[in-house]
Amino acid sequence: MPKTLAEMLGSPMLAVATGLGGVMGLLSFNALFCIYLERKISAWIQRRMGPMEVGFHGMLQTVADMVKLLGKQLITPKGIDKPLYHLAPLVVFAPVVAGTSLMAFSGSFALHHIDLGLVLVFTFGGFAVLGIFMAGWGSNNKYALLGAMRSVAQNISYEIPLLLSALSVVMLTTSMGRTVTVGDETVAVQGLNLFHITMVQMDRNVWFIVLQPVAAILFFIAVLAETNRAPFDIPEAESELVAGFHTEYSGMRFALFFFGEYSNMLIGCMVATTLFFGGWSGPLLPGPVWFFLKSYALMAVMMWVRWTYPRLRFDQLMRFCWMVMIPLSIVNLLVTAFFLKVF
Amino acid sequence: MTDYAQLVAYLGIGVILGFAALVVPWLVSPRYRGRETEQTYECGVDTIGSAWIRFSISFYVFALIFVAFEVDVLYLFPVALVFDEPAFGWRAFVEVFIFLTILSMAILHAWRKGVFRWER
Repeated sequence: MPKTLAEMLGSPMLAVATGLGGVMGLLSFNALFCIYLERKISAWIQRRMGPMEVGFHGMLQTVADMVKLLGKQLITPKGIDKPLYHLAPLVVFAPVVAGTSLMAFSGSFALHHIDLGLVLVFTFGGFAVLGIFMAGWGSNNKYALLGAMRSVAQNISYEIPLLLSALSVVMLTTSMGRTVTVGDETVAVQGLNLFHITMVQMDRNVWFIVLQPVAAILFFIAVLAETNRAPFDIPEAESELVAGFHTEYSGMRFALFFFGEYSNMLIGCMVATTLFFGGWSGPLLPGPVWFFLKSYALMAVMMWVRWTYPRLRFDQLMRFCWMVMIPLSIVNLLVTAFFLKVF
Repeated sequence: MTDYAQLVAYLGIGVILGFAALVVPWLVSPRYRGRETEQTYECGVDTIGSAWIRFSISFYVFALIFVAFEVDVLYLFPVALVFDEPAFGWRAFVEVFIFLTILSMAILHAWRKGVFRWER
């Protein structure tokens, strides 16, 4: 079993402090790196150079942007719903920190050990919807409200295929291994534990994408929609809604939304890595390296998709979810259940 | 401190950090206030009325179907954890099948009512 930080350091307080430092470092690096990567990938796809001026090949561009955002005035419009408007960035930001701390980075250590990892990750993911709606409603701005309404409808709809495809993996995990052997100890498998999901894949020498290809594809599409990425970026469709739900947020408040969004992308990719791509397993390199290599490969695919496909219309988007994604995921779950009983 | 308490600590400190990030611009940023600074943005013209107006009922319908679905899917998580218990045998599959069939009726009903064609 992976040791928790509290066991390694001897004190829970120290563990939270260390873990928090690690998580914040990872998420900050992720936000800076992903914005840079996004701009570079979009530039390459459109045969441009992308940012080139600040630092080597523009590498410090996002740092410069960050400093600029820090110095920007926080404009609070009048006529807003004050509590909702001010709380919204925090509601998007805080769950991301807790959600990241649940991830199964490595087989040898864990930030803390929680058996309900998968359910809690989805719970913290759900907070983002709440924050977006608070922002949209609290701003008293027509664009923001429209963006938020669309975003909520989209997020709650795509939540269902997300959960159903994850559910088929949970079913598979519990059924494939009642116990797994790690080193010289035997662990009773608990299907909602992210570490156990990875261990079963390592133990059986198979990635779940091989056994659950349909679920993997559905999960990835649902993650795209959950994080409001193109081709599902209707909530902030800039050509029709200015900036969607964060139209009225300036400077650092806007940065918090952006931070939350990129962190949610990373969390989505990390969960997909754990569920379908064998988590930290891989030859030669240490576990965490493999884990992040796989996660960022998925992230690059997300960006590739964004700059390749046009945006869907809103009714097409909802119809695609309810008439294609959800029926497919239900059928997939039933087929999984059937074959688990046959074998 | 148990593992769950640690998780709550992460959440709480997350809120504090988010708040701290807002203190810096509060200290260093300019504080300009003009006639139009505090108006909500509407592509340059003066703001007309409030944004809290009526919107399409379809959003509400989607929310309703979602609630029905999401709660039922959550019920399936504990089921998935014991699905392969040898004592249950094929009965487990039959029960999951019946459950999901009834659940699918919700989609079929909404489909026939034209919710997905975005009719109002």
